[in-house]
Amino acid sequence: MNVVEINHLTKYYGKKRGIIDVNFNVEEKEIFGFIGPNGAGKSTTLRTILGLIYPTGGSAKIFGKDSIQYGPEIKKQIGYLPSEVFYYDKMRVKDLLKYAASFYQKDCRKRIRELAEIMDLDLDKRIDDLSFGNKKKVGIVQGLLHEPKLIILDEPTGGLDPLMQQKFFELLQEENKRGATILLSSHILGEVQRLCDRVAIIKEGKIVELQRISSLQERAYKKIKIQVPEDLDSNYFQIDGVSNVEVKQNIISFMYKGNVNAIMKKISEIKIVNIWIEEPDLEEIFLHYYERGA
Amino acid sequence: MNIFWREIKAGRKSLLIWSVGIILFMMSGMVKYESYTASPQSINEMIAKMPTVLKTILGLGTFDLTMVTGYYGMLFFYLVLMAAIYAVMLGANIISKEEQDKTAEFLFLKPISRNQVITYKLSACLVNIAIFTLVTFLSSILMVEHYSKGEDIFSPIIKLISGMFIIQLIFLSIGSAMAAVGRHPQKASSLGTGILLLTFFLSIIIDLNSRIENLKYLTPFKYFEAKDVLYGPGFQPVFLILSFGIIVLLLGTTYVFYQKRDLYL
Repeated sequence: MNVVEINHLTKYYGKKRGIIDVNFNVEEKEIFGFIGPNGAGKSTTLRTILGLIYPTGGSAKIFGKDSIQYGPEIKKQIGYLPSEVFYYDKMRVKDLLKYAASFYQKDCRKRIRELAEIMDLDLDKRIDDLSFGNKKKVGIVQGLLHEPKLIILDEPTGGLDPLMQQKFFELLQEENKRGATILLSSHILGEVQRLCDRVAIIKEGKIVELQRISSLQERAYKKIKIQVPEDLDSNYFQIDGVSNVEVKQNIISFMYKGNVNAIMKKISEIKIVNIWIEEPDLEEIFLHYYERGA
Repeated sequence: MNIFWREIKAGRKSLLIWSVGIILFMMSGMVKYESYTASPQSINEMIAKMPTVLKTILGLGTFDLTMVTGYYGMLFFYLVLMAAIYAVMLGANIISKEEQDKTAEFLFLKPISRNQVITYKLSACLVNIAIFTLVTFLSSILMVEHYSKGEDIFSPIIKLISGMFIIQLIFLSIGSAMAAVGRHPQKASSLGTGILLLTFFLSIIIDLNSRIENLKYLTPFKYFEAKDVLYGPGFQPVFLILSFGIIVLLLGTTYVFYQKRDLYL
Protein backbone atom coordinates (compact mmCIF):
# COMPACT_ATOMS: atom_id res chain seq x y z
CA MET A 1 0.00 0.00 0.00
CA ASN A 2 1.18 3.51 -0.75
CA VAL A 3 1.12 5.92 2.13
CA VAL A 4 2.07 8.84 -0.06
CA GLU A 5 1.18 9.06 -3.75
CA ILE A 6 2.36 12.06 -5.71
CA ASN A 7 0.91 12.47 -9.19
CA HIS A 8 2.25 15.00 -11.67
CA LEU A 9 2.68 17.54 -8.92
CA THR A 10 3.69 20.92 -10.29
CA LYS A 11 4.17 24.18 -8.48
CA TYR A 12 5.08 27.54 -9.90
CA TYR A 13 5.54 30.64 -7.77
CA GLY A 14 4.23 33.09 -10.27
CA LYS A 15 6.59 32.43 -13.14
CA LYS A 16 9.31 31.04 -10.93
CA ARG A 17 9.83 27.30 -11.06
CA GLY A 18 9.07 25.38 -7.91
CA ILE A 19 8.66 21.78 -8.98
CA ILE A 20 7.66 20.29 -12.31
CA ASP A 21 5.71 17.07 -12.79
CA VAL A 22 6.92 15.30 -9.67
CA ASN A 23 5.82 11.69 -9.36
CA PHE A 24 6.69 9.19 -6.69
CA ASN A 25 5.10 6.94 -4.12
CA VAL A 26 6.15 6.12 -0.60
CA GLU A 27 5.18 2.65 0.45
CA GLU A 28 3.92 1.69 3.86
CA LYS A 29 6.63 1.17 6.48
CA GLU A 30 9.39 2.29 4.19
CA ILE A 31 12.02 4.94 4.85
CA PHE A 32 12.07 7.05 1.74
CA GLY A 33 14.78 9.57 1.01
CA PHE A 34 14.30 12.66 -1.01
CA ILE A 35 17.55 14.25 -1.98
CA GLY A 36 18.73 17.17 -4.01
CA PRO A 37 20.77 20.32 -3.64
CA ASN A 38 19.37 23.41 -1.97
CA GLY A 39 16.75 25.09 -4.08
CA ALA A 40 15.94 21.96 -6.07
CA GLY A 41 12.37 21.82 -4.80
CA LYS A 42 12.45 19.46 -1.81
CA SER A 43 10.71 21.80 0.62
CA THR A 44 8.30 22.91 -2.09
CA THR A 45 7.27 19.31 -2.68
CA LEU A 46 6.78 18.57 1.00
CA ARG A 47 4.91 21.82 1.66
CA THR A 48 2.65 21.20 -1.32
CA ILE A 49 1.64 17.71 -0.28
CA LEU A 50 1.03 19.04 3.23
CA GLY A 51 -1.30 21.76 1.96
CA LEU A 52 0.76 24.69 3.22
CA ILE A 53 0.96 25.83 -0.36
CA TYR A 54 -1.24 24.77 -3.25
CA PRO A 55 -0.11 22.97 -6.39
CA THR A 56 -0.33 24.61 -9.80
CA GLY A 57 -1.08 21.18 -11.22
CA GLY A 58 -1.31 17.57 -10.19
CA SER A 59 -2.22 16.20 -6.80
CA ALA A 60 -1.07 14.13 -3.89
CA LYS A 61 -2.71 11.47 -1.82
CA ILE A 62 -1.79 10.57 1.72
CA PHE A 63 -3.24 7.41 3.26
CA GLY A 64 -5.20 7.14 0.02
CA LYS A 65 -6.98 10.47 0.52
CA ASP A 66 -6.52 13.73 -1.33
CA SER A 67 -4.01 15.66 0.72
CA ILE A 68 -5.76 19.00 0.45
CA GLN A 69 -9.40 18.04 0.64
CA TYR A 70 -8.84 15.80 3.65
CA GLY A 71 -5.98 17.86 5.07
CA PRO A 72 -7.11 18.20 8.67
CA GLU A 73 -8.11 14.56 8.87
CA ILE A 74 -4.88 13.07 7.53
CA LYS A 75 -2.76 15.43 9.60
CA LYS A 76 -3.87 13.57 12.71
CA GLN A 77 -1.45 10.86 11.63
CA ILE A 78 1.37 13.01 10.31
CA GLY A 79 4.39 14.15 12.25
CA TYR A 80 6.45 16.88 10.62
CA LEU A 81 9.82 18.39 11.33
CA PRO A 82 10.51 21.55 9.32
CA SER A 83 14.03 22.44 8.25
CA GLU A 84 14.08 25.57 10.31
CA VAL A 85 12.28 25.39 13.58
CA PHE A 86 10.43 28.48 14.74
CA TYR A 87 8.11 28.58 17.69
CA TYR A 88 6.23 31.02 19.83
CA ASP A 89 9.27 32.53 21.51
CA LYS A 90 7.79 33.51 24.80
CA MET A 91 6.63 30.01 25.62
CA ARG A 92 8.47 27.46 27.65
CA VAL A 93 9.32 24.16 26.00
CA LYS A 94 6.85 22.38 28.24
CA ASP A 95 4.01 24.73 27.33
CA LEU A 96 4.76 24.57 23.64
CA LEU A 97 4.67 20.77 23.69
CA LYS A 98 1.47 20.86 25.70
CA TYR A 99 0.00 23.23 23.12
CA ALA A 100 1.13 20.97 20.28
CA ALA A 101 -0.35 17.93 22.03
CA SER A 102 -3.65 19.72 22.61
CA PHE A 103 -4.43 19.40 18.90
CA TYR A 104 -4.59 15.63 19.10
CA GLN A 105 -7.30 13.72 20.87
CA LYS A 106 -4.96 11.64 22.91
CA ASP A 107 -2.82 11.83 26.01
CA CYS A 108 0.71 12.50 24.87
CA ARG A 109 2.31 13.30 28.23
CA LYS A 110 4.11 10.01 28.62
CA ARG A 111 5.52 10.10 25.11
CA ILE A 112 6.69 13.71 25.58
CA ARG A 113 8.64 12.69 28.68
CA GLU A 114 10.17 9.71 26.91
CA LEU A 115 11.19 11.69 23.87
CA ALA A 116 12.59 14.56 25.93
CA GLU A 117 14.70 12.08 27.82
CA ILE A 118 16.03 10.42 24.67
CA MET A 119 16.84 13.76 23.08
CA ASP A 120 18.18 15.20 26.33
CA LEU A 121 15.88 18.20 26.22
CA ASP A 122 15.24 20.53 29.16
CA LEU A 123 11.47 21.05 29.30
CA ASP A 124 11.57 24.03 31.63
CA LYS A 125 13.61 26.34 29.42
CA ARG A 126 12.08 29.16 27.43
CA ILE A 127 12.14 28.64 23.69
CA ASP A 128 13.97 31.89 22.97
CA ASP A 129 16.80 30.84 25.30
CA LEU A 130 17.48 27.70 23.26
CA SER A 131 20.30 27.22 20.80
CA PHE A 132 19.55 26.26 17.21
CA GLY A 133 20.30 22.60 17.94
CA ASN A 134 18.08 22.57 20.99
CA LYS A 135 15.25 24.17 19.05
CA LYS A 136 15.65 21.35 16.59
CA LYS A 137 15.23 18.89 19.44
CA VAL A 138 12.00 20.61 20.41
CA GLY A 139 10.96 20.15 16.80
CA ILE A 140 11.73 16.46 16.93
CA VAL A 141 9.76 15.89 20.13
CA GLN A 142 6.96 18.06 18.77
CA GLY A 143 6.82 16.06 15.55
CA LEU A 144 6.77 12.67 17.21
CA LEU A 145 4.74 13.17 20.38
CA HIS A 146 1.47 11.92 18.92
CA GLU A 147 3.01 8.71 17.55
CA PRO A 148 2.23 9.50 13.92
CA LYS A 149 1.94 6.87 11.21
CA LEU A 150 3.73 9.07 8.68
CA ILE A 151 6.77 11.08 9.65
CA ILE A 152 7.90 13.79 7.24
CA LEU A 153 11.26 15.41 7.84
CA ASP A 154 12.70 18.34 5.94
CA GLU A 155 16.49 18.50 6.34
CA PRO A 156 16.24 17.08 9.84
CA THR A 157 19.81 16.96 11.06
CA GLY A 158 21.02 20.52 10.54
CA GLY A 159 22.19 21.90 13.89
CA LEU A 160 22.32 18.57 15.70
CA ASP A 161 25.69 17.40 16.94
CA PRO A 162 26.84 13.96 15.75
CA LEU A 163 25.83 12.24 18.99
CA MET A 164 22.33 13.68 18.80
CA GLN A 165 22.11 12.80 15.12
CA GLN A 166 22.91 9.25 16.07
CA LYS A 167 20.23 9.18 18.76
CA PHE A 168 17.79 10.78 16.41
CA PHE A 169 18.41 8.20 13.67
CA GLU A 170 17.97 5.42 16.19
CA LEU A 171 14.72 7.01 17.25
CA LEU A 172 13.54 7.14 13.66
CA GLN A 173 14.49 3.53 13.08
CA GLU A 174 12.52 2.56 16.18
CA GLU A 175 9.52 4.51 14.95
CA ASN A 176 9.90 2.74 11.64
CA LYS A 177 9.93 -0.66 13.33
CA ARG A 178 6.83 0.34 15.24
CA GLY A 179 5.19 0.74 11.83
CA ALA A 180 5.72 4.36 10.91
CA THR A 181 6.45 5.33 7.33
CA ILE A 182 9.16 7.94 6.97
CA LEU A 183 9.74 10.49 4.23
CA LEU A 184 13.02 12.31 4.69
CA SER A 185 14.43 15.11 2.61
CA SER A 186 18.09 15.95 2.72
CA HIS A 187 21.00 17.33 0.77
CA ILE A 188 23.41 15.10 2.65
CA LEU A 189 23.77 11.81 0.88
CA GLY A 190 25.30 10.10 3.91
CA GLU A 191 22.29 10.37 6.13
CA VAL A 192 19.99 9.24 3.37
CA GLN A 193 22.23 6.30 2.63
CA ARG A 194 22.26 5.21 6.25
CA LEU A 195 18.53 5.29 6.74
CA CYS A 196 16.64 4.94 3.54
CA ASP A 197 15.37 2.04 1.50
CA ARG A 198 14.65 4.04 -1.60
CA VAL A 199 15.45 7.53 -2.79
CA ALA A 200 14.15 10.05 -5.22
CA ILE A 201 16.65 12.55 -6.54
CA ILE A 202 15.35 15.96 -7.46
CA LYS A 203 17.20 18.49 -9.53
CA GLU A 204 15.94 21.86 -10.67
CA GLY A 205 12.40 20.93 -9.78
CA LYS A 206 12.33 17.61 -11.59
CA ILE A 207 12.81 14.06 -10.36
CA VAL A 208 15.85 12.73 -12.17
CA GLU A 209 16.09 9.35 -10.54
CA LEU A 210 14.04 7.01 -8.38
CA GLN A 211 16.12 4.15 -7.04
CA ARG A 212 16.77 1.61 -4.34
CA ILE A 213 19.62 3.02 -2.31
CA SER A 214 21.62 -0.15 -2.88
CA SER A 215 21.65 0.23 -6.62
CA LEU A 216 22.46 3.90 -6.34
CA GLN A 217 25.48 3.09 -4.24
CA GLU A 218 26.74 0.59 -6.75
CA ARG A 219 26.71 3.29 -9.32
CA ALA A 220 28.14 5.94 -7.11
CA TYR A 221 31.70 7.13 -7.43
CA LYS A 222 34.16 7.14 -4.59
CA LYS A 223 36.96 9.61 -4.35
CA ILE A 224 40.14 7.84 -3.39
CA LYS A 225 43.39 9.56 -2.48
CA ILE A 226 46.48 7.58 -1.60
CA GLN A 227 49.82 8.74 -0.27
CA VAL A 228 52.65 6.35 -1.14
CA PRO A 229 56.23 6.28 0.22
CA GLU A 230 57.89 6.41 -3.17
CA ASP A 231 56.93 7.38 -6.65
CA LEU A 232 54.50 5.01 -8.22
CA ASP A 233 53.69 4.25 -11.80
CA SER A 234 50.59 6.26 -12.52
CA ASN A 235 49.31 3.38 -14.60
CA TYR A 236 49.20 1.10 -11.58
CA PHE A 237 45.56 1.92 -10.90
CA GLN A 238 44.40 1.62 -14.47
CA ILE A 239 41.71 -0.94 -13.80
CA ASP A 240 38.03 -0.96 -14.65
CA GLY A 241 36.07 1.76 -12.92
CA VAL A 242 38.98 4.10 -12.25
CA SER A 243 38.91 7.51 -13.80
CA ASN A 244 40.37 11.00 -13.43
CA VAL A 245 43.72 9.79 -12.18
CA GLU A 246 45.92 12.59 -10.90
CA VAL A 247 49.42 12.22 -9.57
CA LYS A 248 51.02 14.94 -7.52
CA GLN A 249 54.44 13.89 -6.28
CA ASN A 250 53.62 10.87 -4.15
CA ILE A 251 49.89 11.47 -3.81
CA ILE A 252 47.61 9.75 -6.23
CA SER A 253 43.95 10.59 -6.45
CA PHE A 254 41.23 9.17 -8.65
CA MET A 255 37.54 8.44 -8.85
CA TYR A 256 36.34 4.90 -8.55
CA LYS A 257 33.08 3.32 -9.48
CA GLY A 258 32.37 -0.37 -9.09
CA ASN A 259 32.99 -3.20 -6.69
CA VAL A 260 34.85 -1.91 -3.63
CA ASN A 261 36.65 -5.23 -3.10
CA ALA A 262 38.45 -5.00 -6.41
CA ILE A 263 40.00 -1.66 -5.62
CA MET A 264 40.81 -2.60 -2.04
CA LYS A 265 42.70 -5.61 -3.25
CA LYS A 266 44.67 -3.46 -5.62
CA ILE A 267 45.51 -0.99 -2.87
CA SER A 268 46.55 -3.72 -0.46
CA GLU A 269 49.22 -4.91 -2.84
CA ILE A 270 51.31 -1.77 -2.50
CA LYS A 271 52.85 0.03 0.44
CA ILE A 272 50.92 3.11 1.37
CA VAL A 273 51.43 5.91 3.90
CA ASN A 274 47.92 7.21 4.11
CA ILE A 275 44.56 6.82 2.46
CA TRP A 276 41.42 8.93 2.11
CA ILE A 277 38.23 7.46 0.73
CA GLU A 278 35.44 9.95 0.35
CA GLU A 279 31.88 9.59 -0.66
CA PRO A 280 31.21 11.89 -3.53
CA ASP A 281 29.05 14.80 -2.47
CA LEU A 282 25.74 15.31 -4.12
CA GLU A 283 27.12 17.71 -6.65
CA GLU A 284 29.30 14.93 -7.95
CA ILE A 285 26.43 12.50 -8.09
CA PHE A 286 24.51 15.09 -9.97
CA LEU A 287 27.37 15.48 -12.35
CA HIS A 288 26.64 11.93 -13.26
CA TYR A 289 23.06 12.84 -14.06
CA TYR A 290 24.11 15.83 -16.08
CA GLU A 291 26.29 13.59 -18.19
CA ARG A 292 23.58 11.02 -18.65
CA GLY A 293 20.94 13.61 -19.35
CA ALA A 294 23.01 15.35 -21.98
CA MET B 1 -10.52 25.97 21.68
CA ASN B 2 -6.78 25.72 22.35
CA ILE B 3 -6.04 28.32 19.70
CA PHE B 4 -8.61 30.65 21.23
CA TRP B 5 -7.02 30.48 24.68
CA ARG B 6 -3.57 30.75 23.21
CA GLU B 7 -4.59 33.97 21.46
CA ILE B 8 -6.28 35.37 24.56
CA LYS B 9 -3.08 34.77 26.45
CA ALA B 10 -0.91 36.22 23.70
CA GLY B 11 -3.07 39.35 23.51
CA ARG B 12 -3.29 40.01 27.26
CA LYS B 13 -0.33 42.33 27.50
CA SER B 14 -1.28 44.54 24.60
CA LEU B 15 -4.88 44.72 25.83
CA LEU B 16 -3.64 45.72 29.27
CA ILE B 17 -1.44 48.48 27.86
CA TRP B 18 -4.26 49.86 25.73
CA SER B 19 -6.67 49.70 28.65
CA VAL B 20 -4.31 51.61 30.91
CA GLY B 21 -3.88 54.13 28.09
CA ILE B 22 -7.63 54.60 27.79
CA ILE B 23 -8.08 55.00 31.54
CA LEU B 24 -5.27 57.55 31.76
CA PHE B 25 -6.66 59.41 28.75
CA MET B 26 -10.11 59.60 30.35
CA MET B 27 -8.68 60.73 33.67
CA SER B 28 -6.47 63.46 32.25
CA GLY B 29 -9.18 64.49 29.81
CA MET B 30 -11.81 64.94 32.47
CA VAL B 31 -9.45 66.73 34.85
CA LYS B 32 -9.05 69.36 32.15
CA TYR B 33 -12.81 69.68 32.00
CA GLU B 34 -12.67 70.95 35.55
CA SER B 35 -10.57 73.90 34.47
CA TYR B 36 -12.90 74.52 31.51
CA THR B 37 -15.86 74.84 33.81
CA ALA B 38 -13.95 77.16 36.13
CA SER B 39 -14.34 79.90 33.55
CA PRO B 40 -16.93 78.63 31.06
CA GLN B 41 -17.43 81.99 29.38
CA SER B 42 -13.84 82.50 28.35
CA ILE B 43 -13.40 78.95 27.04
CA ASN B 44 -16.45 79.11 24.81
CA GLU B 45 -15.37 82.52 23.59
CA MET B 46 -11.90 81.29 22.82
CA ILE B 47 -13.19 78.32 20.90
CA ALA B 48 -15.67 80.44 19.01
CA LYS B 49 -12.78 82.56 17.81
CA MET B 50 -10.85 79.54 16.53
CA PRO B 51 -10.89 79.01 12.78
CA THR B 52 -13.24 76.22 11.72
CA VAL B 53 -10.40 74.21 10.26
CA LEU B 54 -8.61 74.06 13.59
CA LYS B 55 -11.81 73.28 15.45
CA THR B 56 -12.58 70.45 13.08
CA ILE B 57 -9.10 68.97 13.23
CA LEU B 58 -9.13 69.08 17.02
CA GLY B 59 -12.48 67.33 17.00
CA LEU B 60 -14.18 70.23 18.75
CA GLY B 61 -16.95 70.49 16.17
CA THR B 62 -20.07 72.05 17.51
CA PHE B 63 -19.87 70.74 21.02
CA ASP B 64 -20.71 72.85 23.98
CA LEU B 65 -17.61 72.14 25.96
CA THR B 66 -19.01 73.51 29.16
CA MET B 67 -21.57 70.72 29.20
CA VAL B 68 -20.11 67.44 30.36
CA THR B 69 -21.70 65.45 27.53
CA GLY B 70 -20.45 67.97 24.98
CA TYR B 71 -16.99 67.76 26.44
CA TYR B 72 -17.16 63.98 26.42
CA GLY B 73 -18.26 64.14 22.78
CA MET B 74 -14.96 65.84 22.02
CA LEU B 75 -12.97 63.24 23.95
CA PHE B 76 -14.91 60.53 22.17
CA PHE B 77 -13.43 61.70 18.85
CA TYR B 78 -10.04 60.53 20.16
CA LEU B 79 -11.41 57.44 21.88
CA VAL B 80 -12.82 56.19 18.59
CA LEU B 81 -9.50 56.82 16.87
CA MET B 82 -7.62 54.82 19.49
CA ALA B 83 -10.21 52.05 19.50
CA ALA B 84 -10.03 51.76 15.72
CA ILE B 85 -6.23 51.62 15.72
CA TYR B 86 -6.32 48.88 18.34
CA ALA B 87 -8.88 46.90 16.35
CA VAL B 88 -7.19 47.17 12.96
CA MET B 89 -3.81 46.15 14.37
CA LEU B 90 -5.35 43.31 16.32
CA GLY B 91 -7.10 41.93 13.26
CA ALA B 92 -4.07 42.24 11.01
CA ASN B 93 -1.57 40.84 13.47
CA ILE B 94 -3.55 37.92 14.74
CA ILE B 95 -3.74 36.50 11.23
CA SER B 96 -0.35 37.53 9.87
CA LYS B 97 1.80 36.75 12.87
CA GLU B 98 1.87 33.00 12.23
CA GLU B 99 3.53 33.68 8.91
CA GLN B 100 5.63 36.55 10.19
CA ASP B 101 6.96 34.58 13.16
CA LYS B 102 7.24 31.50 10.96
CA THR B 103 4.98 29.48 13.20
CA ALA B 104 2.63 28.71 10.31
CA GLU B 105 4.47 25.49 9.60
CA PHE B 106 3.80 24.45 13.17
CA LEU B 107 0.17 25.43 13.30
CA PHE B 108 -1.02 24.27 9.90
CA LEU B 109 0.51 20.83 10.24
CA LYS B 110 -1.92 20.21 13.08
CA PRO B 111 -5.21 18.47 12.32
CA ILE B 112 -7.12 21.69 11.92
CA SER B 113 -8.45 23.57 8.91
CA ARG B 114 -7.56 27.13 8.04
CA ASN B 115 -11.17 28.14 8.53
CA GLN B 116 -11.14 26.78 12.06
CA VAL B 117 -7.96 28.69 12.80
CA ILE B 118 -9.54 31.91 11.56
CA THR B 119 -12.68 31.32 13.58
CA TYR B 120 -10.79 30.79 16.82
CA LYS B 121 -8.57 33.76 16.19
CA LEU B 122 -11.45 36.08 15.33
CA SER B 123 -13.33 34.91 18.41
CA ALA B 124 -10.34 35.85 20.52
CA CYS B 125 -10.30 39.25 18.81
CA LEU B 126 -13.96 39.71 19.57
CA VAL B 127 -13.37 39.03 23.25
CA ASN B 128 -10.42 41.44 23.30
CA ILE B 129 -12.47 44.16 21.66
CA ALA B 130 -15.37 43.53 24.01
CA ILE B 131 -13.04 43.96 26.97
CA PHE B 132 -11.55 47.09 25.44
CA THR B 133 -15.05 48.46 24.95
CA LEU B 134 -16.05 47.60 28.48
CA VAL B 135 -12.97 49.32 29.90
CA THR B 136 -13.72 52.39 27.80
CA PHE B 137 -17.34 52.34 28.88
CA LEU B 138 -16.62 51.95 32.58
CA SER B 139 -13.87 54.55 32.68
CA SER B 140 -16.12 56.93 30.73
CA ILE B 141 -19.04 56.43 33.07
CA LEU B 142 -16.94 56.78 36.21
CA MET B 143 -15.04 59.84 35.11
CA VAL B 144 -17.93 61.66 33.48
CA GLU B 145 -20.28 60.87 36.33
CA HIS B 146 -17.87 62.58 38.69
CA TYR B 147 -18.23 65.88 36.85
CA SER B 148 -21.84 65.72 35.77
CA LYS B 149 -24.16 68.02 37.61
CA GLY B 150 -27.25 65.91 37.40
CA GLU B 151 -26.98 65.63 33.62
CA ASP B 152 -28.10 62.28 32.22
CA ILE B 153 -24.85 60.78 31.09
CA PHE B 154 -25.64 57.09 31.03
CA SER B 155 -27.72 56.85 27.88
CA PRO B 156 -25.55 59.15 25.69
CA ILE B 157 -22.43 57.29 26.74
CA ILE B 158 -23.92 53.88 26.10
CA LYS B 159 -24.99 55.04 22.63
CA LEU B 160 -21.59 56.44 21.81
CA ILE B 161 -19.75 53.40 23.07
CA SER B 162 -22.02 51.08 21.07
CA GLY B 163 -21.11 53.06 17.99
CA MET B 164 -17.45 52.75 18.87
CA PHE B 165 -17.83 48.99 19.24
CA ILE B 166 -19.30 48.71 15.74
CA ILE B 167 -16.49 50.86 14.32
CA GLN B 168 -14.01 48.54 16.00
CA LEU B 169 -15.65 45.54 14.38
CA ILE B 170 -15.35 47.22 11.01
CA PHE B 171 -11.66 47.92 11.51
CA LEU B 172 -11.04 44.47 12.91
CA SER B 173 -12.43 42.99 9.73
CA ILE B 174 -10.42 45.44 7.60
CA GLY B 175 -7.27 44.30 9.40
CA SER B 176 -8.01 40.60 9.08
CA ALA B 177 -8.94 40.95 5.41
CA MET B 178 -5.66 42.77 4.73
CA ALA B 179 -3.72 39.93 6.35
CA ALA B 180 -5.71 37.25 4.54
CA VAL B 181 -5.62 38.76 1.06
CA GLY B 182 -2.16 40.30 0.99
CA ARG B 183 0.80 38.50 -0.46
CA HIS B 184 2.99 40.09 2.18
CA PRO B 185 1.56 39.39 5.62
CA GLN B 186 4.15 41.60 7.28
CA LYS B 187 2.58 44.57 5.54
CA ALA B 188 -0.97 43.81 6.66
CA SER B 189 -0.77 45.93 9.78
CA SER B 190 0.64 48.98 8.03
CA LEU B 191 -1.87 48.62 5.17
CA GLY B 192 -4.73 48.44 7.65
CA THR B 193 -3.44 51.43 9.57
CA GLY B 194 -3.05 53.26 6.27
CA ILE B 195 -6.69 52.69 5.42
CA LEU B 196 -7.61 53.82 8.90
CA LEU B 197 -5.74 57.12 8.59
CA LEU B 198 -7.09 57.68 5.12
CA THR B 199 -10.68 57.25 6.24
CA PHE B 200 -9.99 59.31 9.34
CA PHE B 201 -8.68 62.26 7.37
CA LEU B 202 -11.50 61.86 4.89
CA SER B 203 -13.94 62.30 7.75
CA ILE B 204 -12.20 65.53 8.75
CA ILE B 205 -12.15 66.82 5.18
CA ILE B 206 -15.86 66.12 4.88
CA ASP B 207 -16.44 68.22 7.99
CA LEU B 208 -14.51 71.06 6.42
CA ASN B 209 -16.20 70.87 3.07
CA SER B 210 -19.93 70.23 3.05
CA ARG B 211 -19.99 69.83 -0.75
CA ILE B 212 -18.45 66.37 -0.46
CA GLU B 213 -20.78 65.31 2.29
CA ASN B 214 -21.90 62.29 0.29
CA LEU B 215 -18.46 60.75 0.72
CA LYS B 216 -19.41 60.11 4.32
CA TYR B 217 -20.50 56.60 3.37
CA LEU B 218 -16.87 55.80 2.62
CA THR B 219 -15.53 56.42 6.09
CA PRO B 220 -16.66 54.53 9.17
CA PHE B 221 -15.63 57.49 11.30
CA LYS B 222 -18.70 59.28 9.93
CA TYR B 223 -21.13 56.50 10.80
CA PHE B 224 -21.63 57.10 14.51
CA GLU B 225 -20.33 60.58 15.13
CA ALA B 226 -20.87 62.06 18.55
CA LYS B 227 -22.60 65.15 17.19
CA ASP B 228 -25.17 63.03 15.36
CA VAL B 229 -25.68 60.59 18.19
CA LEU B 230 -25.90 63.28 20.88
CA TYR B 231 -27.61 66.19 19.15
CA GLY B 232 -28.79 64.79 15.86
CA PRO B 233 -30.79 61.84 14.67
CA GLY B 234 -29.00 59.24 16.83
CA PHE B 235 -28.22 55.93 15.18
CA GLN B 236 -29.13 56.02 11.52
CA PRO B 237 -30.33 52.71 10.07
CA VAL B 238 -28.41 53.30 6.84
CA PHE B 239 -25.13 53.32 8.71
CA LEU B 240 -26.06 50.29 10.78
CA ILE B 241 -26.88 48.35 7.63
CA LEU B 242 -23.76 49.61 5.90
CA SER B 243 -21.59 48.59 8.87
CA PHE B 244 -23.13 45.17 8.97
CA GLY B 245 -22.60 44.74 5.23
CA ILE B 246 -18.96 45.82 5.39
CA ILE B 247 -18.21 43.50 8.30
CA VAL B 248 -19.83 40.50 6.65
CA LEU B 249 -18.13 41.20 3.33
CA LEU B 250 -14.68 41.63 4.83
CA LEU B 251 -14.95 38.62 7.13
CA GLY B 252 -16.09 36.57 4.15
CA THR B 253 -13.09 37.87 2.22
CA THR B 254 -10.84 36.87 5.11
CA TYR B 255 -12.12 33.30 5.12
CA VAL B 256 -12.16 32.82 1.36
CA PHE B 257 -8.75 34.27 0.61
CA TYR B 258 -6.95 32.75 3.56
CA GLN B 259 -8.28 29.35 2.62
CA LYS B 260 -7.13 29.68 -0.97
CA ARG B 261 -3.76 31.27 -0.83
CA ASP B 262 -0.32 29.82 -0.28
CA LEU B 263 1.01 30.37 3.18
CA TYR B 264 3.98 32.66 3.17
CA LEU B 265 6.73 30.54 4.69
